[in-house]
Amino acid sequence: MYGADVEQIAIQLNEDPQKLADFEARIARGEKIEPGDWMPAEYRRQLIRMISQHAHSEVVGMLPEGAWITRAPSLRRKLILLAKVQDEAGHGQYLYHAAETLGATREEMLDALLDGKAKYSSIFNYHTTSWADNGAIGWLVDGAAILNQTMLARCSYGPYSRAMVRICMEENFHRKQGQEMIILYSQGTPIQRAMVQDAITRWWWPTLMMFGPHDADSPNSGVLIRWGIKTRTNDELRQEFINQLVPDLQACGIVLPDPNLHYDEASGNWRTGPIDWDEFWSVLKGNGPANAERMAARRLAHADGAWVREAAAAYAAKNQQQVN
Amino acid sequence: MDTQWPRYMVFQQEGPDQPMVHNGTVHAPDAELAMLNARDVFVRRPEAVQLWVVLADVIFTQTQEELEKAEPVDQSTSQLVDYYVFGKFTQQAQCRHIGQVQASSPQVAVAAAIATFADKQPLWWWVFPASTVLKNESSESDPMFSAARYKTFKDQAEYPVITMMRELRAKANHKDTENTK
Repeated sequence: MYGADVEQIAIQLNEDPQKLADFEARIARGEKIEPGDWMPAEYRRQLIRMISQHAHSEVVGMLPEGAWITRAPSLRRKLILLAKVQDEAGHGQYLYHAAETLGATREEMLDALLDGKAKYSSIFNYHTTSWADNGAIGWLVDGAAILNQTMLARCSYGPYSRAMVRICMEENFHRKQGQEMIILYSQGTPIQRAMVQDAITRWWWPTLMMFGPHDADSPNSGVLIRWGIKTRTNDELRQEFINQLVPDLQACGIVLPDPNLHYDEASGNWRTGPIDWDEFWSVLKGNGPANAERMAARRLAHADGAWVREAAAAYAAKNQQQVN
Repeated sequence: MDTQWPRYMVFQQEGPDQPMVHNGTVHAPDAELAMLNARDVFVRRPEAVQLWVVLADVIFTQTQEELEKAEPVDQSTSQLVDYYVFGKFTQQAQCRHIGQVQASSPQVAVAAAIATFADKQPLWWWVFPASTVLKNESSESDPMFSAARYKTFKDQAEYPVITMMRELRAKANHKDTENTK
Protein backbone atom coordinates (compact mmCIF):
# COMPACT_ATOMS: atom_id res chain seq x y z
CA MET A 1 0.00 0.00 0.00
CA TYR A 2 1.11 3.52 -0.69
CA GLY A 3 -0.31 6.99 -0.38
CA ALA A 4 -1.72 9.24 -3.07
CA ASP A 5 1.36 11.46 -3.05
CA VAL A 6 3.62 8.48 -3.82
CA GLU A 7 1.31 7.52 -6.68
CA GLN A 8 1.49 11.05 -8.06
CA ILE A 9 5.29 11.22 -7.84
CA ALA A 10 5.60 7.76 -9.38
CA ILE A 11 3.55 8.91 -12.36
CA GLN A 12 5.58 12.11 -12.68
CA LEU A 13 8.87 10.25 -12.59
CA ASN A 14 7.63 7.25 -14.57
CA GLU A 15 8.51 4.85 -11.73
CA ASP A 16 6.72 1.76 -10.38
CA PRO A 17 4.61 3.09 -7.44
CA GLN A 18 5.10 -0.03 -5.30
CA LYS A 19 8.89 0.06 -5.73
CA LEU A 20 8.92 3.76 -4.99
CA ALA A 21 6.80 3.24 -1.86
CA ASP A 22 9.14 0.45 -0.64
CA PHE A 23 12.15 2.66 -1.33
CA GLU A 24 10.67 5.57 0.60
CA ALA A 25 9.74 3.24 3.46
CA ARG A 26 13.36 2.08 3.69
CA ILE A 27 14.53 5.68 3.92
CA ALA A 28 11.87 6.41 6.55
CA ARG A 29 13.23 3.49 8.61
CA GLY A 30 16.71 5.08 8.48
CA GLU A 31 18.18 2.44 6.18
CA LYS A 32 21.01 3.35 3.85
CA ILE A 33 20.52 2.73 0.14
CA GLU A 34 23.48 0.80 -1.26
CA PRO A 35 24.69 0.59 -4.88
CA GLY A 36 22.95 -2.73 -5.69
CA ASP A 37 19.56 -1.61 -4.34
CA TRP A 38 16.63 -0.35 -6.38
CA MET A 39 16.42 3.43 -6.52
CA PRO A 40 14.43 5.91 -8.62
CA ALA A 41 16.35 7.23 -11.66
CA GLU A 42 15.83 10.74 -10.30
CA TYR A 43 17.50 9.80 -6.96
CA ARG A 44 20.50 8.50 -8.90
CA ARG A 45 20.60 11.60 -11.13
CA GLN A 46 20.40 14.04 -8.22
CA LEU A 47 23.11 12.19 -6.29
CA ILE A 48 25.49 12.08 -9.26
CA ARG A 49 24.89 15.80 -9.78
CA MET A 50 25.53 16.67 -6.13
CA ILE A 51 28.43 14.31 -5.44
CA SER A 52 30.32 15.18 -8.63
CA GLN A 53 29.90 18.92 -7.95
CA HIS A 54 31.11 18.30 -4.43
CA ALA A 55 34.14 16.35 -5.73
CA HIS A 56 34.98 19.13 -8.20
CA SER A 57 34.75 21.66 -5.37
CA GLU A 58 37.35 19.74 -3.37
CA VAL A 59 39.67 19.56 -6.38
CA VAL A 60 39.32 23.24 -7.36
CA GLY A 61 39.39 24.08 -3.64
CA MET A 62 43.08 23.17 -3.56
CA LEU A 63 43.94 26.16 -5.74
CA PRO A 64 43.18 29.30 -3.66
CA GLU A 65 45.22 28.04 -0.70
CA GLY A 66 47.77 26.06 -2.71
CA ALA A 67 48.99 29.38 -4.08
CA TRP A 68 50.21 30.28 -0.55
CA ILE A 69 52.23 27.13 0.27
CA THR A 70 55.50 28.69 -0.90
CA ARG A 71 54.78 31.88 1.03
CA ALA A 72 53.69 30.48 4.41
CA PRO A 73 55.24 32.58 7.21
CA SER A 74 56.60 29.66 9.28
CA LEU A 75 57.48 26.00 8.89
CA ARG A 76 54.54 25.05 11.10
CA ARG A 77 52.08 27.00 8.94
CA LYS A 78 53.61 25.54 5.79
CA LEU A 79 53.22 21.96 7.09
CA ILE A 80 49.62 22.66 8.06
CA LEU A 81 48.79 24.18 4.69
CA LEU A 82 50.47 21.37 2.75
CA ALA A 83 48.53 18.77 4.76
CA LYS A 84 45.28 20.67 4.27
CA VAL A 85 45.65 20.96 0.49
CA GLN A 86 46.62 17.27 0.34
CA ASP A 87 43.46 16.45 2.32
CA GLU A 88 41.32 18.32 -0.23
CA ALA A 89 42.83 16.20 -3.01
CA GLY A 90 41.96 13.09 -1.01
CA HIS A 91 38.41 14.31 -0.40
CA GLY A 92 37.97 14.77 -4.14
CA GLN A 93 39.04 11.14 -4.59
CA TYR A 94 36.62 9.83 -1.90
CA LEU A 95 33.76 11.70 -3.57
CA TYR A 96 34.53 10.64 -7.14
CA HIS A 97 34.48 7.10 -5.76
CA ALA A 98 31.03 7.66 -4.23
CA ALA A 99 29.70 9.00 -7.56
CA GLU A 100 31.21 6.03 -9.41
CA THR A 101 29.11 3.63 -7.33
CA LEU A 102 26.09 5.22 -9.06
CA GLY A 103 27.39 4.48 -12.56
CA ALA A 104 29.14 7.77 -13.37
CA THR A 105 32.71 7.25 -14.58
CA ARG A 106 35.60 9.20 -13.14
CA GLU A 107 36.75 9.99 -16.66
CA GLU A 108 33.48 11.64 -17.69
CA MET A 109 33.38 13.63 -14.45
CA LEU A 110 36.95 14.88 -14.89
CA ASP A 111 36.29 15.69 -18.55
CA ALA A 112 33.20 17.69 -17.57
CA LEU A 113 35.29 19.70 -15.12
CA LEU A 114 38.13 20.33 -17.58
CA ASP A 115 35.68 21.25 -20.36
CA GLY A 116 34.13 23.85 -18.08
CA LYS A 117 30.74 22.07 -18.15
CA ALA A 118 30.68 21.10 -14.47
CA LYS A 119 29.70 23.30 -11.56
CA TYR A 120 31.72 23.61 -8.37
CA SER A 121 31.31 25.75 -5.27
CA SER A 122 31.16 29.48 -6.05
CA ILE A 123 33.49 30.26 -3.14
CA PHE A 124 36.64 29.08 -4.90
CA ASN A 125 36.29 31.72 -7.60
CA TYR A 126 37.51 34.44 -5.25
CA HIS A 127 41.17 35.42 -4.98
CA THR A 128 43.31 34.85 -1.91
CA THR A 129 45.04 38.22 -1.75
CA SER A 130 46.68 38.01 1.69
CA TRP A 131 48.06 35.34 4.01
CA ALA A 132 45.18 35.84 6.45
CA ASP A 133 42.80 34.60 3.73
CA ASN A 134 44.00 31.09 4.57
CA GLY A 135 42.72 31.60 8.11
CA ALA A 136 39.42 33.01 6.84
CA ILE A 137 38.99 30.08 4.47
CA GLY A 138 39.66 27.61 7.28
CA TRP A 139 37.34 29.16 9.85
CA LEU A 140 34.58 30.49 7.60
CA VAL A 141 34.60 28.46 4.38
CA ASP A 142 35.55 25.09 5.90
CA GLY A 143 33.30 25.83 8.88
CA ALA A 144 30.37 26.38 6.50
CA ALA A 145 31.31 23.24 4.56
CA ILE A 146 31.37 21.17 7.77
CA LEU A 147 27.79 22.18 8.65
CA ASN A 148 26.64 21.03 5.22
CA GLN A 149 28.75 17.89 5.33
CA THR A 150 27.63 16.91 8.84
CA MET A 151 24.11 16.91 7.45
CA LEU A 152 25.20 14.89 4.41
CA ALA A 153 26.94 12.34 6.67
CA ARG A 154 23.38 11.34 7.65
CA CYS A 155 22.16 11.14 4.05
CA SER A 156 20.32 8.08 2.78
CA TYR A 157 22.91 6.96 0.23
CA GLY A 158 25.50 4.72 1.94
CA PRO A 159 28.68 5.54 -0.04
CA TYR A 160 28.08 9.32 0.10
CA SER A 161 27.29 9.24 3.79
CA ARG A 162 30.42 7.22 4.60
CA ALA A 163 32.65 9.52 2.53
CA MET A 164 31.22 12.45 4.50
CA VAL A 165 31.97 10.92 7.90
CA ARG A 166 35.61 10.65 6.96
CA ILE A 167 35.74 14.09 5.36
CA CYS A 168 34.11 15.83 8.35
CA MET A 169 36.70 14.36 10.68
CA GLU A 170 39.52 15.78 8.57
CA GLU A 171 37.77 19.10 7.88
CA ASN A 172 37.62 19.79 11.60
CA PHE A 173 41.39 20.13 11.56
CA HIS A 174 41.02 22.58 8.64
CA ARG A 175 38.49 24.70 10.46
CA LYS A 176 40.34 24.79 13.76
CA GLN A 177 43.74 25.69 12.31
CA GLY A 178 42.01 28.60 10.54
CA GLN A 179 40.21 29.72 13.67
CA GLU A 180 43.43 29.52 15.67
CA MET A 181 45.19 31.68 13.07
CA ILE A 182 42.44 34.33 13.07
CA ILE A 183 42.26 34.46 16.90
CA LEU A 184 46.04 34.87 17.20
CA TYR A 185 46.33 37.55 14.51
CA SER A 186 43.28 39.39 15.84
CA GLN A 187 45.22 39.82 19.11
CA GLY A 188 48.50 40.55 17.34
CA THR A 189 50.23 43.60 15.87
CA PRO A 190 48.24 46.39 14.19
CA ILE A 191 49.31 45.03 10.78
CA GLN A 192 48.14 41.51 11.69
CA ARG A 193 44.84 42.87 12.99
CA ALA A 194 44.27 44.87 9.82
CA MET A 195 45.13 41.83 7.69
CA VAL A 196 42.57 39.69 9.54
CA GLN A 197 39.88 42.39 9.34
CA ASP A 198 40.44 42.75 5.59
CA ALA A 199 40.27 38.97 5.04
CA ILE A 200 37.00 38.54 6.97
CA THR A 201 35.50 41.58 5.24
CA ARG A 202 36.10 39.99 1.85
CA TRP A 203 35.14 36.37 2.74
CA TRP A 204 32.04 36.98 4.89
CA TRP A 205 29.41 37.47 2.19
CA PRO A 206 30.78 34.87 -0.28
CA THR A 207 30.73 32.34 2.60
CA LEU A 208 27.05 33.05 3.35
CA MET A 209 26.33 32.48 -0.37
CA MET A 210 27.97 29.03 -0.18
CA PHE A 211 24.84 27.58 1.44
CA GLY A 212 23.00 28.22 -1.82
CA PRO A 213 19.86 30.17 -2.72
CA HIS A 214 17.08 30.86 -0.22
CA ASP A 215 14.75 27.90 0.27
CA ALA A 216 12.03 29.54 -1.84
CA ASP A 217 14.47 29.74 -4.79
CA SER A 218 16.07 26.31 -4.38
CA PRO A 219 14.51 24.10 -7.09
CA ASN A 220 16.00 20.74 -6.01
CA SER A 221 15.39 20.98 -2.26
CA GLY A 222 11.96 19.29 -2.18
CA VAL A 223 12.95 15.96 -3.64
CA LEU A 224 16.36 15.99 -1.91
CA ILE A 225 14.69 16.33 1.48
CA ARG A 226 11.92 13.84 0.66
CA TRP A 227 14.53 11.16 -0.11
CA GLY A 228 16.80 11.92 2.80
CA ILE A 229 19.68 13.22 0.72
CA LYS A 230 19.41 16.53 2.53
CA THR A 231 17.81 16.67 5.94
CA ARG A 232 18.00 20.45 6.44
CA THR A 233 17.39 23.41 4.15
CA ASN A 234 19.90 25.97 2.87
CA ASP A 235 18.44 28.71 5.07
CA GLU A 236 18.47 26.56 8.22
CA LEU A 237 22.14 25.73 7.74
CA ARG A 238 23.03 29.35 6.89
CA GLN A 239 21.27 30.62 10.02
CA GLU A 240 23.09 28.13 12.24
CA PHE A 241 26.40 29.22 10.72
CA ILE A 242 25.64 32.92 11.29
CA ASN A 243 24.62 32.26 14.89
CA GLN A 244 27.85 30.35 15.53
CA LEU A 245 30.23 32.75 13.83
CA VAL A 246 28.99 36.26 14.64
CA PRO A 247 29.62 36.19 18.42
CA ASP A 248 33.04 34.54 17.99
CA LEU A 249 34.23 36.95 15.29
CA GLN A 250 32.98 39.90 17.35
CA ALA A 251 34.83 38.58 20.39
CA CYS A 252 37.98 38.73 18.26
CA GLY A 253 37.28 42.43 17.71
CA ILE A 254 36.43 41.89 14.06
CA VAL A 255 33.75 44.08 12.47
CA LEU A 256 31.50 42.29 9.99
CA PRO A 257 30.78 44.11 6.72
CA ASP A 258 27.04 44.34 7.26
CA PRO A 259 25.41 47.50 8.71
CA ASN A 260 22.12 45.61 9.07
CA LEU A 261 23.53 42.81 11.20
CA HIS A 262 21.60 42.59 14.47
CA TYR A 263 20.52 40.17 17.15
CA ASP A 264 16.84 39.29 17.09
CA GLU A 265 15.82 38.72 20.71
CA ALA A 266 12.48 37.15 19.82
CA SER A 267 13.92 34.31 17.72
CA GLY A 268 17.40 34.16 19.27
CA ASN A 269 18.93 34.54 15.82
CA TRP A 270 21.47 36.91 14.35
CA ARG A 271 19.91 38.59 11.30
CA THR A 272 21.98 39.78 8.34
CA GLY A 273 21.15 42.30 5.66
CA PRO A 274 20.14 41.04 2.19
CA ILE A 275 22.56 38.76 0.35
CA ASP A 276 23.64 39.94 -3.10
CA TRP A 277 22.27 37.05 -5.14
CA ASP A 278 23.21 38.71 -8.43
CA GLU A 279 26.84 38.28 -7.40
CA PHE A 280 26.21 34.62 -6.50
CA TRP A 281 24.58 33.76 -9.84
CA SER A 282 27.20 35.70 -11.76
CA VAL A 283 30.05 33.78 -10.06
CA LEU A 284 28.22 30.49 -10.60
CA LYS A 285 27.80 31.28 -14.30
CA GLY A 286 31.55 31.71 -14.64
CA ASN A 287 31.95 35.46 -14.22
CA GLY A 288 33.49 35.54 -10.75
CA PRO A 289 36.84 37.20 -10.07
CA ALA A 290 38.90 34.02 -10.53
CA ASN A 291 36.77 31.54 -12.57
CA ALA A 292 38.95 31.69 -15.68
CA GLU A 293 42.14 31.50 -13.64
CA ARG A 294 40.94 28.46 -11.67
CA MET A 295 39.98 26.55 -14.80
CA ALA A 296 43.26 27.45 -16.50
CA ALA A 297 45.23 26.23 -13.46
CA ARG A 298 43.22 23.01 -13.35
CA ARG A 299 43.79 22.31 -17.06
CA LEU A 300 47.49 23.10 -16.75
CA ALA A 301 47.83 20.73 -13.77
CA HIS A 302 46.09 17.98 -15.77
CA ALA A 303 48.32 18.57 -18.81
CA ASP A 304 51.45 18.74 -16.64
CA GLY A 305 50.53 15.38 -15.12
CA ALA A 306 50.33 13.65 -18.51
CA TRP A 307 53.89 12.30 -18.31
CA VAL A 308 53.14 10.71 -14.92
CA ARG A 309 50.12 8.90 -16.36
CA GLU A 310 52.12 7.82 -19.41
CA ALA A 311 55.00 6.57 -17.24
CA ALA A 312 52.62 4.62 -14.98
CA ALA A 313 50.94 3.00 -17.98
CA ALA A 314 54.32 2.12 -19.54
CA TYR A 315 55.53 0.63 -16.24
CA ALA A 316 52.41 -1.50 -15.90
CA ALA A 317 52.71 -2.62 -19.54
CA LYS A 318 56.35 -3.62 -19.04
CA ASN A 319 55.50 -5.66 -15.93
CA GLN A 320 52.64 -7.32 -17.77
CA GLN A 321 55.00 -8.31 -20.62
CA GLN A 322 57.45 -9.86 -18.18
CA VAL A 323 54.65 -11.94 -16.65
CA ASN A 324 53.60 -13.15 -20.10
CA MET B 1 34.60 6.23 -24.75
CA ASP B 2 35.79 4.64 -21.53
CA THR B 3 39.58 4.78 -21.63
CA GLN B 4 40.20 5.12 -17.92
CA TRP B 5 42.30 2.75 -15.86
CA PRO B 6 40.46 0.03 -13.95
CA ARG B 7 39.13 0.66 -10.45
CA TYR B 8 40.73 -1.05 -7.48
CA MET B 9 38.90 -1.37 -4.20
CA VAL B 10 40.99 -0.40 -1.20
CA PHE B 11 40.81 -2.13 2.19
CA GLN B 12 42.63 -0.82 5.21
CA GLN B 13 43.40 -2.19 8.64
CA GLU B 14 43.70 0.61 11.17
CA GLY B 15 45.30 -1.32 14.04
CA PRO B 16 46.64 -4.80 14.80
CA ASP B 17 43.39 -5.85 16.50
CA GLN B 18 41.11 -4.21 13.94
CA PRO B 19 39.54 -5.96 10.93
CA MET B 20 40.28 -5.03 7.32
CA VAL B 21 37.71 -2.40 6.33
CA HIS B 22 36.70 -1.13 2.90
CA ASN B 23 37.60 2.49 2.25
CA GLY B 24 37.02 3.47 -1.34
CA THR B 25 38.64 3.06 -4.70
CA VAL B 26 41.60 4.23 -6.74
CA HIS B 27 42.24 3.96 -10.46
CA ALA B 28 45.55 2.50 -11.60
CA PRO B 29 47.06 0.61 -14.54
CA ASP B 30 47.98 -2.32 -12.29
CA ALA B 31 47.71 -3.55 -8.70
CA GLU B 32 51.20 -2.41 -7.70
CA LEU B 33 50.48 1.19 -8.71
CA ALA B 34 47.01 0.92 -7.18
CA MET B 35 48.76 0.10 -3.89
CA LEU B 36 50.88 3.27 -4.15
CA ASN B 37 47.83 5.41 -4.99
CA ALA B 38 45.88 3.83 -2.15
CA ARG B 39 48.62 4.73 0.29
CA ASP B 40 48.62 8.37 -0.90
CA VAL B 41 44.84 8.75 -0.86
CA PHE B 42 43.91 6.81 2.28
CA VAL B 43 46.89 6.87 4.63
CA ARG B 44 47.25 10.60 5.19
CA ARG B 45 46.27 9.97 8.81
CA PRO B 46 48.18 7.71 11.21
CA GLU B 47 45.81 4.80 11.20
CA ALA B 48 47.01 1.99 8.93
CA VAL B 49 48.90 -1.22 9.54
CA GLN B 50 47.86 -3.02 6.38
CA LEU B 51 46.47 -2.20 2.93
CA TRP B 52 44.83 -4.46 0.35
CA VAL B 53 43.86 -3.62 -3.22
CA VAL B 54 41.48 -5.73 -5.32
CA LEU B 55 40.09 -5.10 -8.81
CA ALA B 56 36.57 -3.73 -8.24
CA ASP B 57 35.20 -6.01 -10.96
CA VAL B 58 36.10 -9.20 -9.11
CA ILE B 59 34.16 -8.25 -5.98
CA PHE B 60 30.72 -9.86 -5.88
CA THR B 61 28.21 -8.15 -3.61
CA GLN B 62 24.66 -8.90 -2.49
CA THR B 63 22.43 -6.65 -0.44
CA GLN B 64 19.51 -8.08 1.57
CA GLU B 65 17.22 -6.82 -1.19
CA GLU B 66 19.21 -8.68 -3.85
CA LEU B 67 19.38 -11.85 -1.75
CA GLU B 68 15.59 -11.96 -1.47
CA LYS B 69 15.32 -11.95 -5.26
CA ALA B 70 18.30 -14.26 -5.89
CA GLU B 71 17.85 -17.68 -7.53
CA PRO B 72 19.02 -20.72 -5.51
CA VAL B 73 22.65 -21.50 -6.35
CA ASP B 74 24.06 -24.81 -7.54
CA GLN B 75 26.21 -26.06 -4.66
CA SER B 76 28.77 -27.68 -6.92
CA THR B 77 31.91 -28.78 -5.10
CA SER B 78 34.19 -28.74 -8.13
CA GLN B 79 37.18 -26.39 -8.30
CA LEU B 80 36.90 -24.85 -4.85
CA VAL B 81 38.91 -21.69 -4.26
CA ASP B 82 39.31 -19.50 -1.18
CA TYR B 83 37.07 -16.46 -0.95
CA TYR B 84 37.39 -13.58 1.48
CA VAL B 85 34.05 -12.64 3.02
CA PHE B 86 33.19 -9.08 4.04
CA GLY B 87 29.97 -7.63 5.43
CA LYS B 88 28.28 -4.38 6.41
CA PHE B 89 26.81 -4.66 9.89
CA THR B 90 25.16 -1.33 10.63
CA GLN B 91 23.52 1.10 8.25
CA GLN B 92 26.34 3.62 8.61
CA ALA B 93 29.27 1.19 8.56
CA GLN B 94 31.75 0.23 5.85
CA CYS B 95 32.08 -3.42 4.84
CA ARG B 96 34.55 -5.24 7.06
CA HIS B 97 36.29 -8.58 7.03
CA ILE B 98 34.32 -11.54 8.43
CA GLY B 99 36.32 -14.59 7.39
CA GLN B 100 37.05 -16.98 4.58
CA VAL B 101 35.12 -19.73 2.77
CA GLN B 102 35.82 -22.17 -0.06
CA ALA B 103 33.50 -22.07 -3.03
CA SER B 104 33.26 -22.71 -6.77
CA SER B 105 31.69 -19.34 -7.66
CA PRO B 106 30.95 -15.98 -6.00
CA GLN B 107 27.25 -16.86 -5.64
CA VAL B 108 28.17 -20.11 -3.91
CA ALA B 109 30.64 -18.19 -1.73
CA VAL B 110 27.81 -15.95 -0.44
CA ALA B 111 25.65 -19.01 0.24
CA ALA B 112 28.60 -20.67 2.02
CA ALA B 113 29.25 -17.50 4.01
CA ILE B 114 25.60 -17.36 5.13
CA ALA B 115 25.89 -20.99 6.30
CA THR B 116 29.37 -20.66 7.85
CA PHE B 117 28.81 -17.36 9.64
CA ALA B 118 25.22 -18.01 10.67
CA ASP B 119 25.62 -15.84 13.78
CA LYS B 120 26.60 -12.85 11.62
CA GLN B 121 23.83 -11.27 9.63
CA PRO B 122 25.31 -8.43 7.63
CA LEU B 123 23.11 -6.10 5.61
CA TRP B 124 25.42 -6.47 2.65
CA TRP B 125 27.74 -9.34 1.67
CA TRP B 126 30.96 -8.90 -0.31
CA VAL B 127 33.08 -11.84 -1.52
CA PHE B 128 36.16 -12.09 -3.70
CA PRO B 129 38.77 -14.79 -4.43
CA ALA B 130 41.71 -14.54 -2.02
CA SER B 131 44.09 -14.98 -4.95
CA THR B 132 42.97 -11.65 -6.48
CA VAL B 133 44.15 -9.52 -3.56
CA LEU B 134 47.43 -7.61 -3.50
CA LYS B 135 48.54 -7.02 0.10
CA ASN B 136 51.30 -4.63 1.03
CA GLU B 137 54.60 -6.36 1.92
CA SER B 138 54.77 -6.49 5.69
CA SER B 139 58.45 -5.49 5.48
CA GLU B 140 57.31 -2.26 3.83
CA SER B 141 54.64 -1.40 6.39
CA ASP B 142 56.87 0.93 8.31
CA PRO B 143 58.09 3.09 5.39
CA MET B 144 54.55 3.12 3.98
CA PHE B 145 52.64 4.05 7.09
CA SER B 146 54.94 5.63 9.65
CA ALA B 147 55.37 8.94 7.80
CA ALA B 148 51.83 9.98 8.72
CA ARG B 149 52.14 8.85 12.33
CA TYR B 150 54.03 11.84 13.73
CA LYS B 151 52.14 14.57 11.87
CA THR B 152 50.10 15.49 14.91
CA PHE B 153 49.30 18.91 13.44
CA LYS B 154 46.67 17.10 11.34
CA ASP B 155 44.75 16.34 14.52
CA GLN B 156 42.02 18.83 15.40
CA ALA B 157 42.86 18.35 19.09
CA GLU B 158 46.10 20.27 18.44
CA TYR B 159 44.09 23.49 18.17
CA PRO B 160 42.57 24.53 21.52
CA VAL B 161 40.25 27.08 19.94
CA ILE B 162 37.45 26.67 22.50
CA THR B 163 39.84 27.54 25.34
CA MET B 164 41.28 30.41 23.27
CA MET B 165 37.80 31.86 22.71
CA ARG B 166 36.97 31.55 26.41
CA GLU B 167 40.15 33.41 27.36
CA LEU B 168 39.44 36.08 24.78
CA ARG B 169 35.96 36.67 26.22
CA ALA B 170 37.29 36.70 29.79
CA LYS B 171 39.82 39.35 28.79
CA ALA B 172 37.12 41.46 27.10
CA ASN B 173 34.84 41.20 30.18
CA HIS B 174 37.73 42.18 32.43
CA LYS B 175 38.36 45.29 30.29
CA ASP B 176 34.66 46.23 30.45
CA THR B 177 34.73 45.99 34.25
CA GLU B 178 37.88 48.14 34.41
CA ASN B 179 36.28 50.80 32.21
CA THR B 180 33.16 51.11 34.36
CA LYS B 181 35.20 51.63 37.55
